[in-house]
Amino acid sequence: MKPTRAISPYLFLAPAVAVFGFAVLAPLLLTVGYSFTDWNGFGPMTFVGLDNYVRAVSDAVFRGSFLHVLIYIAATLVLEVTVGLLLAGLVSARRGGLWFRVAIFTPVMLPMVVVAVLWSFVYNADFGLINGALDAVGLEGLKRVWLGDTSTALLAVSVVSGWVFAGFYMMIFYAAFRQIPSEVLEAGRLDGAGEWALFRRVKVPMIRNALAVAVLLCVTGGFQGFDLFFVLTNGGPYGATEIPTTYLVKVVFRNGDVGYGSSMAVVLTAIVLGVGLIYLRLQRREATT
Amino acid sequence: MTHRSRAVGVGPLPGILAGGGLALLAIVFFFPMAWMVLSSFKTNAQIFRTPFALPTELDFGRWAEAWEVGHLGQYALNSAIVTAASVSLILVLGAGAAFAFSRYRFRGRRLLMGLFALGLLLPLQSYFIAQSQLFNQLAITDTRLALIIPYAAMGLSLAVYLLKVYLDALPDELFDAARIDGASDVRVFWNLALPLLRPGLATVAIFSALAAWNEFLLALLYIQDDSLKTIPTGLLAFSSRYVTDYSLLFSALSIVTLPMIVIYVAFNRQIVEGITAGSVK
Repeated sequence: MKPTRAISPYLFLAPAVAVFGFAVLAPLLLTVGYSFTDWNGFGPMTFVGLDNYVRAVSDAVFRGSFLHVLIYIAATLVLEVTVGLLLAGLVSARRGGLWFRVAIFTPVMLPMVVVAVLWSFVYNADFGLINGALDAVGLEGLKRVWLGDTSTALLAVSVVSGWVFAGFYMMIFYAAFRQIPSEVLEAGRLDGAGEWALFRRVKVPMIRNALAVAVLLCVTGGFQGFDLFFVLTNGGPYGATEIPTTYLVKVVFRNGDVGYGSSMAVVLTAIVLGVGLIYLRLQRREATT
Repeated sequence: MTHRSRAVGVGPLPGILAGGGLALLAIVFFFPMAWMVLSSFKTNAQIFRTPFALPTELDFGRWAEAWEVGHLGQYALNSAIVTAASVSLILVLGAGAAFAFSRYRFRGRRLLMGLFALGLLLPLQSYFIAQSQLFNQLAITDTRLALIIPYAAMGLSLAVYLLKVYLDALPDELFDAARIDGASDVRVFWNLALPLLRPGLATVAIFSALAAWNEFLLALLYIQDDSLKTIPTGLLAFSSRYVTDYSLLFSALSIVTLPMIVIYVAFNRQIVEGITAGSVK
């Protein structure tokens, strides 16, 4: 369609571009700029070249935070994506009622802070559900201060993440399963395939695209996780759950090291964009072959 | 799994197993929430002594107290204002931009579309440091605008992208006909495109609203004034004020959670569609 006036398209776009440019694009460029400076946010700003990046690479806490977030991502790939896939398989093999979906999907809608405060009680050493359940079945020996123990804290946070997002991925996969033509499944059943064989050999391979999207979301989302970690442990105990986002907020908003924090933000951004672009490249290759 | 069921396909036994498995899983997933609501009716002493026991009476007294002393009404109002404002902005600005991208060819179109597409992938961390500096200098920090503007900006990328997909699917003839009837650009947008976009707008509204309602990090950094806090940050402040009053905290958590369950039961199809469309498309 030809605009009646040549300027029309720009007028339709102007408000959106203005808001997006002001709140996202300009700050993005400024953050990259800050990353080459030594600045506390209000005093004089000194250009330091790549110093911040050199410092980030040799910062043991920063490097450790990436190790933690990678463990977290690996755990959530199992607890969110894999569990979500199995749940979707169950629901589609035998239609679950509304209450089942309510139970599994409600956590997705809740503010993460609510989830985090609730689970801090679930993990509570004195009256929490986990230790209470262990008591009830006679496994007192396994009782822990789950969020206060360096060996369990990271996994404990990952479990909460799984509790929230397994339902989310279940819904994605459930929708994908429903796209599979019923003739394909019928053919499989006529060949004598059981539900499990059907799930593994037919259904899962047929929703490859949804699986790829889910893995991308889980990985890129994992790098950006913050709320649960901040409320449950805020990096502790002894830095065992420090991830790039929580460390970044401490460096910038508690220590006032805006320049250094910005360089970490740029590194994190580069990784997330990198993962996203690799995914797009793979998708495109798949589309052409 | 038995041999018999394998041969029959959907035999009775796997059906029962799957049903039982589903019920068990639903209980595991639901248990923390059920425990939360039950504990809100108990005293702190009961919570400690018998964490699994049912409450002796359904007393909503602590709920009322949590609502009062926790300023939950104020937080909910703030969340509602910020959510309504940012969702309205996203819908209006997003529809305008999607309309321009979908129906017109103009210089700079690809570049601008690329920028909005970039926003789909950009993590919040890529811009929030400078954004907070900017907001400080403009004295926007500690006002509702400090949340409305970024929430709108963050939601725009996905809104533009999704709405453009909807608009692209509409036949050209529709728009050409309106043009032959002498409709101006604004009229075509307002009287033709917007009404046809309604389902797309509903989807965008749902996931934008949930994102704004639940956003935590920016709300934590930009709002210090307790009377402007939204539910996530307000609840966190509340929980650090009453750290050990568990029954009061359980009450507050229940008050925030139950409406979400009601909303989900009422609109589950739209919500699931909105949330999954927001991520998959």
